[in-house]
Amino acid sequence: MTVFQRPDPTLIVLQRLAENAHDVDALFVLAALRVMDGNVPEGLTILDHVLRLDPGYPGAWRFKASLHGRQGETAAEASARRMADDIEP
Amino acid sequence: MSAPAQSMKMKICMAGQASVGKTSLIRRYVLDEYEDRYIATLGTKITKKKVTVPDPRGGQPVAVDIIFWDIMGTSTIRELLKEAYYHGAMGIFAVADLTRKETLRALDDWARSIRSVAGNIPTYGVVNKQDLEPDREISADDVDAFFGKRGWPWSYTSAKTGIGVEESFHRLVESVLASRDVVRQSASDGGPPRPS
Repeated sequence: MTVFQRPDPTLIVLQRLAENAHDVDALFVLAALRVMDGNVPEGLTILDHVLRLDPGYPGAWRFKASLHGRQGETAAEASARRMADDIEP
Repeated sequence: MSAPAQSMKMKICMAGQASVGKTSLIRRYVLDEYEDRYIATLGTKITKKKVTVPDPRGGQPVAVDIIFWDIMGTSTIRELLKEAYYHGAMGIFAVADLTRKETLRALDDWARSIRSVAGNIPTYGVVNKQDLEPDREISADDVDAFFGKRGWPWSYTSAKTGIGVEESFHRLVESVLASRDVVRQSASDGGPPRPS
């Protein structure tokens, strides 16, 4: 049987960020990893940074909306969802 | 083919485990290129391609702006990001790797995740890396049974040689176009099909 081991996403993220601190792909996944660790506020902070670097980053506004929804921040959730509908490819 | 009378945007989500060749298949289809080096996709890559295909209803050609969402093949964060990635998806291009048996079974979870957001959208399966036939780990019977049981059309592809790639994407596009008619028809009969 062929055994394929994809490198740990955290390691890939850290490697990419070491090469380029503004790598939006790596930052987006870092935000998701922080949320998975239970740290939604830090995930949102990183996500906001992604959206400053690339306001059209695919999926970022909708991800932001879902995180605000988790936090019970309904106005921010609705605002992010509107942005997603306007901007998303 | 005469000039298209209608146009539409079509979001297609790539599905499948890491390193099955999702990015390479898009690259082959859009650029007709192949890169042997494996670079893991992080986050999402958007690729667009315009095609003109016959309307399945037999009418005028349709100009389709395909928007491919090439999503990282990491299942651990799939559920967290599923709304972000799959909202508005109209078709699933599900990719397994001929040399890794588990990649075929994994397609169920990918399709389930996408359909939980996008509904019961058309799915087209491919078994990629046909050029690695000597290393085959999935029997032809298993492939047939897997896709047949789910009712997904499928084919073999090789992003490396290009075999089957264009036809597979076109078949998914045609399925999506045909499904629009099903939705319209169902709507007039009392509502669109529900997610399974």
